[in-house]
Amino acid sequence: MVPGYQKGVLWRSFLKKSTVSSDRTIVAKSLPTGRTVGRSYLGQRLDFLRKSQNPDGGWGYFPGKASWLEPTAYAAMALHGDPAADRAWKLLMSWQSNGGWRSSASVQEPGWGTSLCVSLAQGRGDAPAAVVSGVNWLVNSVGAETNWLGILLGYFRHERDLRLKAWPWKPGDSGWVEPTAHALVALKQVARTSAVHDRIQSGEAQLLDVRSSDGGWNYGARAALGVDLPSYPETTALALLGLQGRNSLDSAFDLAARQLMETPSPLGRGWLSIALRLHGRPAFQDAASSEISTDIMLASVEALAAPDGNFWFMKAA
Amino acid sequence: MSEDNKPTADPISAASNRREFLAMAAAGLVAGVAGYKGGRNSRAAPTAASPVASRSERVAIIKAASYTHDLESRMLQGIRECNLDVSGKTVLLKPNFVEFDPKTCINTDVAVVAAALNVFRTLGAAHVQIGEGPGHRRDTFAMAELTRYRSEIPKFDANFVDLNRDDVTAVKNFADRKEFFFPNSVLRADLIVSLAKMKTHHWAGATLSMKNYFGLVPGSIYGWPKNELHYIGIPKSIVELTRVFGPKSFAIVDGIVGMEGNGPIQGTPKPLGVLVMGSNLPAVDATCCRIMGIDPTKVEYLETANGTLGVTGETQIAQVGETIASVRTNFQLIKEFNQIRMG
Repeated sequence: MVPGYQKGVLWRSFLKKSTVSSDRTIVAKSLPTGRTVGRSYLGQRLDFLRKSQNPDGGWGYFPGKASWLEPTAYAAMALHGDPAADRAWKLLMSWQSNGGWRSSASVQEPGWGTSLCVSLAQGRGDAPAAVVSGVNWLVNSVGAETNWLGILLGYFRHERDLRLKAWPWKPGDSGWVEPTAHALVALKQVARTSAVHDRIQSGEAQLLDVRSSDGGWNYGARAALGVDLPSYPETTALALLGLQGRNSLDSAFDLAARQLMETPSPLGRGWLSIALRLHGRPAFQDAASSEISTDIMLASVEALAAPDGNFWFMKAA
Repeated sequence: MSEDNKPTADPISAASNRREFLAMAAAGLVAGVAGYKGGRNSRAAPTAASPVASRSERVAIIKAASYTHDLESRMLQGIRECNLDVSGKTVLLKPNFVEFDPKTCINTDVAVVAAALNVFRTLGAAHVQIGEGPGHRRDTFAMAELTRYRSEIPKFDANFVDLNRDDVTAVKNFADRKEFFFPNSVLRADLIVSLAKMKTHHWAGATLSMKNYFGLVPGSIYGWPKNELHYIGIPKSIVELTRVFGPKSFAIVDGIVGMEGNGPIQGTPKPLGVLVMGSNLPAVDATCCRIMGIDPTKVEYLETANGTLGVTGETQIAQVGETIASVRTNFQLIKEFNQIRMG
């Protein structure tokens, strides 16, 4: 557990004391508080990713599992320049369908992961035609709430402005913070047509509209039945990534810095580190965790978040 | 999206009047789901009756005063009262850890999960695994840490599968979808034990062993939250999940401390001191409702399940252990659900 978490004891104090030993952990060692781990921290994660790559070039969420777009895209970003990343990109290219990207070989319908593939392609400087069709797919992907009915309902309720267009996890569903944030990052990285520009503006406004009263973001609802809902570290970080280039986010940065110190979620710390770095804000140097997880997505995000990691893949132009 | 996956219910025609229309709209909006095609007005219609539907079902109400005293023996007592045989089976324990808030009691208590792990091993299960796919949070293991699962359940990580990120297989004809994906760990289990929390629910009335199965749906495909279920309709999704997985289920509902009021996340703790168990999920949930002072005939998903997926009438349920009257404690309901209060 997290000793003293409920009493507000900082996560880094826990790291000092932690003797975590579990099957999720393949490497565990205690680190002094605040110590810069640098290359070995990143290197250990990259080694783990290389060793856990599937024969098809992708990664599952955990070693030995079927390849999925999400861990594959993050791992390919983390390993950019490595032959393993090229193999991953080759697999991902085979999953593009009607402009969008499918989330795995077993799923036929394209979804939100299209944003990750556009960002990956942009970072690689690769596949311009695939990027164009991916961008077109994203521009046309809209949360199902943004229809005449939703706008009508917006006059009765005031918890969300349904004229603003968010992105869904999958077509036909409503828009949420995480897919919206990734779509904004991807679209900001490409040349701005007027259609792209309009979606960016609407998407940013939508994120700001669903912001929690504490200054951060959760999955995408600021209240339920009139009761405020709290923000989460990981979604606060992702929203800040989507809002790169916006001003007047100081209270969100303050919250993000506090969340970075307090959250027991290594995934949350990874995303917070990336977001703060890309906004030119300090993120503490141990990049969160003293252990390498067998959670491939987590290891990839931690590698991206390292001071010398490839977090720039998430940089909006 | 494919034509087959488009939600088919028209949210306006589904609502019979303006009040219902607005109630449904509010449900969608608060969940961030406008264009919502479900809520209390989306009528659930199971497509095939379960073979257990016509049997008189045993449901055990077992007193358990606390999470620290004699929990395993109480659980064993209830399981034996229900004549459950788990020998040689692959068992998936499905707790409810959907969110974490130190001020309340959202999740199945870790003591109940730890006890179940030991009990099912003791009873001779070939393999016992814990699995959950939280609906809001991406870092399932961090959630497991906050809920003390990782620290208090020995070798938790080795015994746990994140159902949000498991490999998946499509199931045909779930609800109105041509295919719907479920985690392989769920599909391969011989027995799923719904380790639910006894809570009120601000959209469904009560969340018990049936509603707990929302956590079987993989976030890797359907997202966080699992919005697809809202479009199908909450009652209909609950019924469909029970139709598919109910026949290989057993329920243990943690009512040692339940949640009343604005559940399932923002309610307040309700100490009750009971475990409710049984093989028929609708029968177990109907019994829980009566214990909570809720009329199960006014809970849409239970009314739909009655007679097709199980039994919910009090006289149809073979009650063992404590009587309902001896443990009944009215749970506070939000005003939108005052009408489901049992007389």
